[in-house]
Amino acid sequence: MSTIIEAIGMTLSYSNGQNDIIQNVNFKINKGDFVFITGPSGSGKSTLLKSLYGQIKPSSGSLSVGGIEMSSVKKSKLQELRTHLGIVFQDYKLISEWTVSKNVVLPLVIAGYAIDVQKSQAQRLLGHVKLSDYGDRYPLELSGGEQQRVGIARALARNPLVVLADEPTGNLDEYSSNVIWDLMENACEQLGTTVLVVTHKIPTIFSLRYRHFIIENKGLYEVN
Amino acid sequence: MKSIKNHLMFILPLMTILLGIQFYLVFDRMTSGYEERLRDGYSILVVANKPVGINEFKALNAKISQSSKIERNEILQEISIGQDPADTKAILDALPNFYTLKLASYLDTSSLEKVKKDLEKSAKIKRVETFGSDYSSNYKLFSFIKFTLKAFIFFMATVSLFLIIKQMEVWGYIHKERMQVMEIFGAPMILKTGILFRVAIVDALIATLLIVIFFVILGSVWAQNSGVEVVVQNHMNIFHNNDILILLFSALIIVVTSVLIVVFGLNGGEE
Repeated sequence: MSTIIEAIGMTLSYSNGQNDIIQNVNFKINKGDFVFITGPSGSGKSTLLKSLYGQIKPSSGSLSVGGIEMSSVKKSKLQELRTHLGIVFQDYKLISEWTVSKNVVLPLVIAGYAIDVQKSQAQRLLGHVKLSDYGDRYPLELSGGEQQRVGIARALARNPLVVLADEPTGNLDEYSSNVIWDLMENACEQLGTTVLVVTHKIPTIFSLRYRHFIIENKGLYEVN
Repeated sequence: MKSIKNHLMFILPLMTILLGIQFYLVFDRMTSGYEERLRDGYSILVVANKPVGINEFKALNAKISQSSKIERNEILQEISIGQDPADTKAILDALPNFYTLKLASYLDTSSLEKVKKDLEKSAKIKRVETFGSDYSSNYKLFSFIKFTLKAFIFFMATVSLFLIIKQMEVWGYIHKERMQVMEIFGAPMILKTGILFRVAIVDALIATLLIVIFFVILGSVWAQNSGVEVVVQNHMNIFHNNDILILLFSALIIVVTSVLIVVFGLNGGEE
């Protein structure tokens, strides 16, 4: 199994470098892994996720994502890496002035795909998340669960190396949450995508084999 | 409604700057003839021991554009009436060379003094006389009007530029989340900030168009029927076709600069 993400002695701090959020952690994520990271509020789960897409740089140690060292990554390289990541947010972060279809194909727009490819991919992806008839609507016309499905379709649009999800079901009811977990499982199982989810609680109904890390006292520990 | 207000808050200050630029162009064209008359009305008479060519004059001061020699024979005819031919020859030998000089551009009084002093430095030149009684007072009045107009335009342009940047900041905040999302997904700066450039360029085109329409109407309808002699005479100076390019280019430079200031400001704030 090839390694997609690897941290060695990594520490994450606030910008002044004095308050460590995560201290000296080591972990390795392989291609096709489904990973849950849990921990209490304020433990640094989201910060850890942000470091994986380069929003925060490690203050010491090393962190490699897709073979790129994040502590010294250049802006252009980071831009390129981000086009190979699928990111799902708790608050969806859909562009409200754009239609659902356009939101879904954002990664393809950024990658410069032709309009007809974007259109056909939008149809395919919306079909995948069971929102085929919602393409011309705007995000605010959709329920929270539907918006998150759009978010997942957007994250999967370019067959990413890794899907990073930050509390993807945090704002959703149980039914919508189960739909989201199903989609995540499918992405991992059928497409072989590596999925890393930060969440308060691991879903009770989850059929796929997964790895579980806990953040506690600034450390990261794998639970078997 | 809010969107229209946001656009007007951008278009109006931009129009103010473009109005300033166009008024300056009109003023410049209308006064260039007057400047020429002032310049031509000023003459410099040079008395030289030996002949001096135009290149020698230009070498002394580059502001000199023309020199005309006053024929010595004509002067001699006036002063040698009834004189012996031998005396006439002696007078001719003793008579210096006279030149009138013209200037290349319209100069202020201190520059004129400098021209005079530069000429006097030459060993060939005996004396320099200047004529132009109204020149100094006209020049001062003219300079004052020009300076006042420039200062007013500069002041208006500065205030307007700040308003444009403020409005651009508002747009930056309106679209901040969209730009952040695009950045997280790896969008390059041009794509991420494309919305700001689009809005700004469209508004720049609208502002330019409105100013062009205003000055075309001003020049072709109002000026000709105004009954004010100086305006009627100069109606063709109110708008020239190439003013469109000057206005459009200025508007685009202003909006692109303000977008860049805001974009780099927002990026700086995030880091």
